[in-house]
Formats: sequence, C-alpha cells, structure tokens
Amino acid sequence: MNIVVAMKQIPDLQQIRIRNRCPVLDDVPLTLGKIDKNALEAGLKIRENAGNKGRVIVVSAGNRDIEETVKEALAAGADEACIVVDEAASDLESSISAILLAAAIKRIGVADIILFGEGSGDNYSGQVGARVAEILDLPQVGYAGNVETTGRTARITRVLEDREEIVEVELPVVVCILADINEPRIPSVSQILKAGKKHKEIIEIDDLTMETSGRRIETISNLAPETARKREPVNTCGALCAVLEKEGFWAR
Amino acid sequence: MNFDFSKEEQLIQKAAKEFADKRIAPVAGNIHRTNAMPAEIVDGLADLGMFGIPFLEKYGGGEAGYLSYILALEQLSKASAGVGMIISVNAVGLAVINVFGTEEQKLAYLPQSIDGKKIMSFAFTEPGTGSDPKQLTTTVSRDKDGYLLNGTKRFISNAGYKGPMVVVAKESDTGKATAFVIDKFCDGYSLSAPWEKIGAHGGGLYDVYFKDVKIPAENLLGQNGGGLSALKIAMIYGKIGLTGLFLGQALAAFEEGLRYANEKMHRGESIGHKFEHIKISVADMAMKYDAAKWHAYHLGWAADNYKDPLQLAKEAALSKVFVAETAIDIARISMGIHGSYGLMEDYKISQIWGDAIIGPQVEGTAPLLKIMGAGIILNG
Amino acid sequence: MAGILIYSDQDPLSFELLTAARYIAENTGAAVKAVSINNHAQAEALAGRGAESYRIDGKEIILEDTAAVARALKGAVETLDTDVVLLSANRRGKELAGRLAQMLDAGCLSDVNALAVRSGRIECTRNALGGATVAVQTVTSKRKVIALSAKVFAAAPDGVGHISDLTLDVKGSGIKLMESRAKAEEAAHIETAAVLVVVGQGLENRKDLAIVKRIADSLKGEVACSKPVATDKKWLAEDRIIGLSGKICKPDLAILLGVSGQVQFMVGIRDAKTIVAINRDENACIMQNADYIMTADLQDVLPELSRALTGTVPS
Repeated sequence: MNIVVAMKQIPDLQQIRIRNRCPVLDDVPLTLGKIDKNALEAGLKIRENAGNKGRVIVVSAGNRDIEETVKEALAAGADEACIVVDEAASDLESSISAILLAAAIKRIGVADIILFGEGSGDNYSGQVGARVAEILDLPQVGYAGNVETTGRTARITRVLEDREEIVEVELPVVVCILADINEPRIPSVSQILKAGKKHKEIIEIDDLTMETSGRRIETISNLAPETARKREPVNTCGALCAVLEKEGFWAR
Repeated sequence: MNFDFSKEEQLIQKAAKEFADKRIAPVAGNIHRTNAMPAEIVDGLADLGMFGIPFLEKYGGGEAGYLSYILALEQLSKASAGVGMIISVNAVGLAVINVFGTEEQKLAYLPQSIDGKKIMSFAFTEPGTGSDPKQLTTTVSRDKDGYLLNGTKRFISNAGYKGPMVVVAKESDTGKATAFVIDKFCDGYSLSAPWEKIGAHGGGLYDVYFKDVKIPAENLLGQNGGGLSALKIAMIYGKIGLTGLFLGQALAAFEEGLRYANEKMHRGESIGHKFEHIKISVADMAMKYDAAKWHAYHLGWAADNYKDPLQLAKEAALSKVFVAETAIDIARISMGIHGSYGLMEDYKISQIWGDAIIGPQVEGTAPLLKIMGAGIILNG
Repeated sequence: MAGILIYSDQDPLSFELLTAARYIAENTGAAVKAVSINNHAQAEALAGRGAESYRIDGKEIILEDTAAVARALKGAVETLDTDVVLLSANRRGKELAGRLAQMLDAGCLSDVNALAVRSGRIECTRNALGGATVAVQTVTSKRKVIALSAKVFAAAPDGVGHISDLTLDVKGSGIKLMESRAKAEEAAHIETAAVLVVVGQGLENRKDLAIVKRIADSLKGEVACSKPVATDKKWLAEDRIIGLSGKICKPDLAILLGVSGQVQFMVGIRDAKTIVAINRDENACIMQNADYIMTADLQDVLPELSRALTGTVPS
C-alpha cells in the first residue's frame, strides 16, 4: 500500500516578525505545516496498523528550499519524497499547488491513500486536498479523526461540528486529517542523519506540461490587526456588573 | 566564513527544543524542587539519540558532530540544567573510552551508553583534590586476576545510575595514576546521599565509596600511568558539554528577561518599551548571549575539525569559562529586569540564577581553566 | 454579472448567505439563487425569506459524499447561470468549497469573516499567516467560490419567494455512510452565540465550571474555552474551542476567564464587540486586548460574580 502525504513548506510561524503591521518573512526558517505533520503521523500509523506494509511518500511543491525542508518529513518517518520545484514559487496559491501536487502524485503512480492536513499552517484555506481529489477524480473525506483500512476499503471517521460520521470507501481516496488528532513523533538524531540519504524524486516545473492558467486570487492587503481595546481596569464584581448593565448585556 | 547550520544541525536543534518544550519544561519545576530526574525524561532522551550525538555510527551514535551536540545541549539545558549535566558527564566517559579503549572495550561499553540505556560516570575528584593526580588517595592494588580498588571519590555525577564508570586511581605499588572502567553498583560500590547543590538539580551528584572493588585486568584503560592523559581528555570533552549546558542557561535567562520586559506593564505600556534602562538591559543581554553563542558554536565546530589537540584543549577550557561567566552576567541582568519578582521562586529566573551561578566552579574552576589555557597560549 | 448561488447544509447559515448574496447583488445587479439538496423544508424556509429557491433531489447526492454534492452544485451553477457561489464556512462547506472551485476552475476563499463590494470587486477578509495577519483578498477568476463564516451577515428576513425543481443527473463517488452520531454532549453553537463566557487554563478547579455555566446562563450566553481546556484537560467538548483550529466567533460580549490570550486563540475572538478579561496575571497578553480588565483570582471572583449576577452560587 502506498500512502502519500502532501505537505506544505511554510515559514515558521513562531518566528514571523511584524514591522509596521506588515509581516517580515525574510530570514524566517522554513518548515512543514503543523497539521501536515499530523497527516504524516496518521500516515505512519495507518502503515503500522497495516502490518508495516507499504511505503509512506511525501509530496510537496515549492521553491528550491523544499529539497532541504522535506528532510524534516523524511526524518520523521516518511520513506521517500516526490517534490515539484518551482523556483518562482514562494507563495503558491491553492489552485496552483493542487495542480503541482496532483502531477507529483501521478508521477508516483500508485497512491492508495492520499493524506492532507485539514488546512495549511499559514493560509489554512483547506482547499488543496479537495482540489487534488477533483483533479485525480477520487472520492474525498475531510476532517478525518480516524482512518482504518481493511484490504482495499478505508473506514474513516469524519468529525463535524456537532456530529461524527463513519464512512467507508474503496481505495484510492483523498483524506484530509483533522488538526491535533495525534502527537507527531520527534525524529531521533540518527533518523535526522539518515533523512538526507532517503530517495527524493525532484520534478522541475519546466518538465511538467500541464497548464496552471495563472493566479485566481489577488491579495489587496495583508496586515497585522490593529487592537484598539479600551483596557479599562475594573476592580470589583459590582463594578463589572455595572459595566455589563451599561453596555446592555444584563439587567438587574 | 559561513555561519549557516546544515539542515541536519537545524533539525537536531529543533528535535531537542521540541523535546525540551513538550517533555522537560512541564516537569522542570518539579525536577528543581525534588532534585530528581524522572526516568521518562532519561528514556525519552535515549529514544531520541541525545546521548550519542557526536559518537560513531558503528557504536550506535548519531555521528552528527560536536556542533550538533552543543546545539542540542543548549536547548535541553535551557529547560533543565540537570538534563545537560547527565548527558555531558555520560559523554565524558564515552569520550575517554573512545580515545583510550581497546576495540573490545569500545564494543563492550560504548553502545549501551550511547543508547542511554546505561549512563556513564567519570570519577577523578576526591575530598582532598580536584585535579592533581599526585594527591589521589583512592588506590588500586594488584590482586591475583587484576586489581582491588579502595577509596572515596567526591562530586561524582550520574553515580546513581547503573552503567560504567571511568575511575582514575593511584597504583599502590608504583604510585602512578591509572584509569580503569568499572561497573557501578558492583560489590564494594556504595554511594552517599545526593549532594543538595544550588543549581543543576536532577543531575544527581554523589560521593562514591569503593571497598575492595575487584577490577579485572582487562578493565585497565590505556596504559598503566595513563590517568593524567585520561583526565586531560575528560577535561576537553567535559568542557564542550558544559559550554553547551551553560549556553542553555544564558539563553534561558535572556528569554525570560525579554519576555518579562515585553509583558510587564507600567501604566499601559510594557516596561521594555517604556524605560530606557530596561532597553539597555535587553541590549546587554542580546550582546552577551551572541558573544557566548558564537564562542560555543565555534567550539563545537573546532571539536569536529581540530588538528592540534592542545588548541582544542585551550578553546574548550576558555570557552567554558567565558560562556559560564556570561550566563551569570545575563542571569543577573535578567533578574534586574524582573525587579522584586526575580527574587521569587515562582519566577523561573530565580531558578536559572542558581543553575548559572555554579558554572565557573564545576568541572574545573575558572582560574584553573584560565591557567591551563594561558599555559597553552604562552608555550605555543 | 451573472447570478449568485448560495448553498449551505445548515438552515441558519443559508439564511445568512442569502443576506450576503443580496448585499453583493445590490452592488452588482446579479440575481440571487438558492439551492437545497434533498431538503424540501430548507427550500421552503429559504423561499419563506424571499429567495428564488431551487430543490435538487438525487439518491446519490448524500451530504457525506462531498464530490457528489459538488457535482450537484456544478450542475446548478451551469443551469442557473451563476458565477459566484457562496457557501458556509462550516466544515461541510469548507470541504465542499475546494472541490467545487476545482470543478468550476474558480478561485476560492474560505473562512471569510468580512465581505465588502468595492469598485465592483468582492473584497474578502480572512486570517493569514496563522492568524498573525488579516488579509483582504479578492477572487480574480470569472467564477468565484466563497465560504463565509457564521454571523458575518444577519439572517435574511421573511419575504415571499418561490420554489422550483432543478433536475440534475448526479453520480456519487462511492462514499458509503456507515454510522452517524451526534457528539456525546449536546452540540454547542458558540459561533452563533451573542454572549460567550470563555474558560482558559487559569481556571484551576473543574467544579467551578458549574459557576461559569450559571454566569453564562444569566447573560443568555454559551460557555466556550481555549483549546487545552478541551483537548488536554477534557473539561469541555471540543466544539466549544475558540481559536484558529477551533471556532472563529464574533459575539457581542466575551468574558474571558483565566485565558492568557495567545495569537492562535485571539484569532477566534478578536472580532468580539466587547471583551472582558479576568486574569490573576496582570501581565497576561489578554490584558492588552480587552476592553475591561480585572486582575483577580478566579476562585474568589467566580462565586462573587455569580452572586452579583444571579443572587446565588451553584453548590
């Protein structure tokens, strides 16, 4: 069984600085999305439960740095990587990422379960998995809290706001994993050292013949929110009640 | 000059930081209060290969070099200096056996301590001497199949863990200082209660008593009379570990001070943004941390790339002094930023202060290390 | 502009989408069309709010099969000549958005928490960079899919619309529903509540939740929490989590009890009209981001506040 995990290269969100309300991304180290790491961990667990048969393959698309960034996933247990390198791509929008990832998945050939995080760590738009499913003409299940396989059937728990539903579907399938459903393993020192030696298939964007038909989203502004809260101290519960009354939230 | 880390170095640093944040930090307060290290922490470090970072892959090590070792120790020790102590002292024993051991000895002792399944100790210091081989009173006398060990060793880290111990003792017949490797908790091995020290809690420190401990002849490490050479190697690799450990204290103090400067409010504005003297303190901390950091990272690089061992010995000794003293400087400044709160046990800086203040006096006092370093500088 | 299509599996959200679509239509002159899938009651309710309401029925279009629902909507877009599709940004809606956008070769924005038409463009506001920034974006492709958060627009008022049937031949993608169950606790709808009383890690005793509930009830509000309270402590259900990976809420009033206010949390509450923060630590981030701040120990404040608001304290 081949388990494909799509992961996105993003800036380390903890290290983004805000200057004059604008995010400064220069020198911010690149990493892989946090929820993507949940997806990788889920992939590793699916394989373990399937008697450790099959391979876990990471796919990603990004600028040249992705060749290094993907080592983090290889260290965490993925067997190999297939990445699309687009030198111009620093900020790929969802529709284009989906096309590149789908191309990488086709290159792998057999993909039985294709895992995504429910959303990327930076943009959290949550579209790419669904878009890839459409391109590959596969069924999809989002917000998955659990994935089990028996033979060629996957049994997936989808967690909605107020319900959980269990669905079954024949492989192959695209599954988007819920954030925080597992604790991604910390790679050991020797796994980190071995990551660079694992197989990496690198696809140059120019070698792909598909159309990406340009951007579909324009960003008008992207600024840190201004906070203009009153910060009025309230010293007693009585005073707080008076405030709630004055603002019309409570009546005596 | 290239100051970039390789991806592997970055990932080792990140793995150490993640383990420190998720597993050590939540129990760090408890480690500090009880002066005991939870077994799960040691097991977790072992699973991640944190005990074997610089050692050869053929013995189970990561073979990732001493720069990676320092990067990891910095992050782990930032959360708990005791963790740094356990790893650093284990690595001292490993380094001595790695240098002086026969292949049989290496295969017998290195893998299990690289794995962190058995934790090593190094025993030289005694109640009467810190580093003078002539004043050793622990003796080995020839026995029919080997040696008999008798005496007391002082301030021995990791002595409460099962595993090998490298002991330097005086040969009763020749008067030479010689190194041996023994198994802790063998017949005749006993321990004091752990010392209650100011800092690095959880890194257990004991006195060790030997009463007619039998040492087989094949446990001789290096040559008869090679005890001083073993001590020199232990000094070099011990200083590398401690440089990483006290860099962790420098970082911890810096981060706590910076956080407090940003978060403590005075009439609606953070003290860091409001008061000039806090700004200056922030600059001082940053300046000093950077100086300490590059000292330490260069030492790691040098340990991976040295040609002249004396130059490495000098750099290890002086970097450890510089980083340890700087950690105290930063802790002092950070404590000043905290005002009265810095004196309270509730605030982490008070604990960091205790961890930092021990720096210049452990495993070779600052004056001793400076004199050693100066000797190498003056004599070339 | 061709028409605007709205769809949500949830009635209240579909009523809000109707208002949003009318707002866009006002500025662009587009026609608004609503679809309901295998749900005649919803189609009637939408018509009852003045919508041009279309019923799509199909055995294979089950909600659990996102691809099938997307296919149905694609059919509707083509048949009804609509370029803009508004969906709800609940989980079903977001899962659907990407699939439909790909089918329509459209750009897509999800979790949109403010929407304005300026110079003919639909400007959408959403969180970016993990909540560190707020981006204003617009879809430039001809067809557009937008998934709108709850409470961005009010529910459409009553009106007179009409219902038509839309016959489409839609195949499923092979998803079989085996089991569906409501989450153990009664489902909380914190994203639609006007008042939220939010518990953070600063609440030390689980039994104090009873007092928190009483306070929330006295203000006709819901109890919500920061992530660790639900995922680590498991004191409350996960559908009460506020934040980037929980729910994005815009209540009129949020009372934050022992919440430190990290960015991932603040993303979910920063659009509240009024924020009251009670925290023992005067230096907690949250104290910078609240309208009314009280530095106090929750163990003392909670009974006192309960007594002040309701006259009693639950035992």
